[in-house]
Amino acid sequence: MHLVDRLLATDRRIIYLLVGLGALIPLLIPIGLPVTVTPPVRSAFEKIESLPAGSVVVISFDYGPSTAPENDPQAGAVMRHCFARGIRVVGMALYPLGGLSVAVEEINKVAAEFPVTYGVDYVNLGYKDGAQAAMRRMNEDLHELFPRDASGRPIGELLLMQEVRSLKDTDLVFSFATGIIGEWWINLVNAQFGTPVAVGSTAVGTPKYYAYLKAGQAVGLLGGLKGASEYERLLSDHYPDVARIYESPLLYTATQGMDIQTIVHLVIIALVLAGNILYFTSRIMRRSSPGGRRA
Amino acid sequence: MRRQLPLVMTFIAGIIPVIALFSPHPIVVNIAARADRWLVIVYAFALLLGVVSVVQSNSRKIARRDKGWPYAVVLLTGLTVMGGFGFLGNFGIFGGITTTPDGRPTPFQWSYSNVFLPLQATMFSLLAFYMASASFRAFRARNLAAGLLMVSALFVMFGRIPTGEAVPFVPMITEWIMDNPNAAAQRGIIIGAALGAASMSLRVILGIERSHLGLGRGE
Amino acid sequence: MQDRSKRRRLARSGSTPPLRTAFFPAALALAAVAGAACAPASAAAQGARTQAPLEVVAKDRPGDAGGRIVVTWREAPGAPASTYRIERSSDGTGPFEPVGEAPPRSTRFEDAGAPAGDPFFYRVVAVLPAGEAVSETTSAAFSRANWFRNDRTNALILVLAFMGLIVGFIEAARRGTKLFIRRISGLSAIDEAIGRATEMGRKILYVPGIQSMDEIQTIASLAILGYVAKVSATYGADLDVPNRDPLTYAAARETVKHAYMEAGRPDLYREETVNYITYDQFAYTAAVTGRMVREKPATNFFIGSFYAESLILSEMGQTTGAIQIAGTAEVFQLPFFVATCDYTLIGEELYAASAYLSREPVLLGSIKGQDIAKALLLVLGAAGVVLTTFGNPIVANWLTMR
Repeated sequence: MHLVDRLLATDRRIIYLLVGLGALIPLLIPIGLPVTVTPPVRSAFEKIESLPAGSVVVISFDYGPSTAPENDPQAGAVMRHCFARGIRVVGMALYPLGGLSVAVEEINKVAAEFPVTYGVDYVNLGYKDGAQAAMRRMNEDLHELFPRDASGRPIGELLLMQEVRSLKDTDLVFSFATGIIGEWWINLVNAQFGTPVAVGSTAVGTPKYYAYLKAGQAVGLLGGLKGASEYERLLSDHYPDVARIYESPLLYTATQGMDIQTIVHLVIIALVLAGNILYFTSRIMRRSSPGGRRA
Repeated sequence: MRRQLPLVMTFIAGIIPVIALFSPHPIVVNIAARADRWLVIVYAFALLLGVVSVVQSNSRKIARRDKGWPYAVVLLTGLTVMGGFGFLGNFGIFGGITTTPDGRPTPFQWSYSNVFLPLQATMFSLLAFYMASASFRAFRARNLAAGLLMVSALFVMFGRIPTGEAVPFVPMITEWIMDNPNAAAQRGIIIGAALGAASMSLRVILGIERSHLGLGRGE
Repeated sequence: MQDRSKRRRLARSGSTPPLRTAFFPAALALAAVAGAACAPASAAAQGARTQAPLEVVAKDRPGDAGGRIVVTWREAPGAPASTYRIERSSDGTGPFEPVGEAPPRSTRFEDAGAPAGDPFFYRVVAVLPAGEAVSETTSAAFSRANWFRNDRTNALILVLAFMGLIVGFIEAARRGTKLFIRRISGLSAIDEAIGRATEMGRKILYVPGIQSMDEIQTIASLAILGYVAKVSATYGADLDVPNRDPLTYAAARETVKHAYMEAGRPDLYREETVNYITYDQFAYTAAVTGRMVREKPATNFFIGSFYAESLILSEMGQTTGAIQIAGTAEVFQLPFFVATCDYTLIGEELYAASAYLSREPVLLGSIKGQDIAKALLLVLGAAGVVLTTFGNPIVANWLTMR
């Protein structure tokens, strides 16, 4: 079998190995590729920058562990921004697995990096099912919807929630969504009640949110891991304390992830180009071989 | 009766949301909301049916020592242990389902965070590898359409990374591909699929389509 | 006596007019001055009354669940108000309490806090530079829950037109009109794919999507499953239907059992044919891909609603050399199926499958009706694009659902 044909029939495991190395090497040896900030991310950043200390931002963990690598850095970056500015955070989840795991872990992890107190500066209200119905109720009475927080404490006992009785007492909703829930926040809460909404979505879902951004229904958009890395860049530029947090070698950051994404994208592009070159070479060789053209 | 009752219930369950779309009256809205809650209840019973099926088929596999029966043992062990942690946690044993009152994780939460989540993340990560092998095999410019597909894919992949953004025109072409041919094709498929879904739903509501109920044409 | 005669003498001499004759002009002058002073105030009062908003009407807001009353008025000519204050009372005499304000030049206000069944009386106060002008009080207005949303009339017309077309073509098909639908290669290949599995002595894997029975794609998938099961039973091929959703599992069991009975081979049905795995998306994917690798089915069907696991399933199936037929309406997963499967049913081809496979006239009629509706929608869309490009958004507005 000619070399070209042998290469065309490369064992998949070689391809998997190349991708694996492409993911592992930047993890061990950070490259630090430059990150340019795009307008949708800057818009989200500036919205939070415009909120004074003491404002309340609702952070909704509408994703599960499967998209955590993309959405966790987004949620972490936005929460760090809020805590760095003294903005208070009300955490919740409308996606079942979001409430069980990612909300708890991410909130606790980020809160441990700042001098904030549970119940005063931030709360985790946990998961509520019936997303759309829950959103409608939120504008009337949050306390009725979440009688207890994620760890079972009555909501009335939390100092922050004594001031926040409904969405009307909040200044922004930031939804980190894996699917359609981000659209529901925009269509229900922003369109009907006027609360500003920003979204952090997976890369696959980002294209559809552009339409809402252009229409002014979303005040900002973080698209996938790239959006998170851009937000981290903005944070590091404006808040030196947060920049120090991101320099910690034990923290998985979106910027690190972008290095990996870059290399893996380049590997796949190289594989596609190589596959085509080999394919056309094989065709030309067959045409010009003594056996003549293929039927 | 066995034939008529499912069809009648399908009709009622199907027509209520349609009416609720056009009627704001509280009576209609309450009925529609109630129907949603019924779905949740029916679901819970169906879940029970599913669990019984899993336990039955895997027990049978172990008893007959079918091929791969050790995996059935692993499955049943996992089901019993995780299910047990969660179930008992509801009654206060272990201090709760996910967190104990003093904030420490329960065995259920520990298994979830340290066993289940890494396994899920691993499965999802397979996508990256499979995308590479699928791209290598499928993005060959065999004809014009395949060639256009390949060129678009290369531009979008390159335009979405910092290196590509630094190259002139690449981001612009990437955005144009996403905003124009991609969005147009998606919208076309969505509209066509929505009409197809509406037609199918109408057939189901009117009882013309009934194979999913286990009923034939003649019945 | 002397004074009087002295005054008469003075009067006769013309030095001063007599008192009686002096009084009237003085009084007149005084009256004129007083009148001049009072004129602006009364004119103002007169003017203010004519500057009050006119034609004030309060009515129930149509097409809502009650609790809202709409107040409309007309601005008095030549009297632009800086703001309008809307006041209401529960009887016509007062006290009137403000319920809201409307910006200048507005003619409408919606009171969203009017409980259904209670009477409310409204008046509109125009705040003018010179003061305030209060309108007449309206008659009693009651808010009511309505049965129909007027703002969705356009949607209702479209839905009824669509249903009419479908039902019309179904009736035409019932009466015997021959209807044609084009060849869908994915569906034509089903028989061949099942035959291949029978020849190779390997099984057929059918994945009915990962969503529940409330997703119409799942129902369409079960319609195709019925056909696949019937053909498999006829050929004697082995079928495996793993499920992620419990409701789909229950329905698939019934579908397959019935199909085997219809094929006259109820003996071939085993409990393991349709089985439930788990609800978790990736655990289900791991189980199915494991089966593909160990049992190497000859034919894989991926028909229904899929999310991220679509590529994992189809690429793994590709490695085992199976012939693969996929069908979904999830636009984000279609590219993965197209790249890895031999045949892919795109969007509405999935929904047309049951009609296509059974060739039932009634089902074919519904496909025809749907196609005609799509053609009409295309024409409407094209007209809307042209009109909007030339600045007339009438079609675009009419096609917007509130």
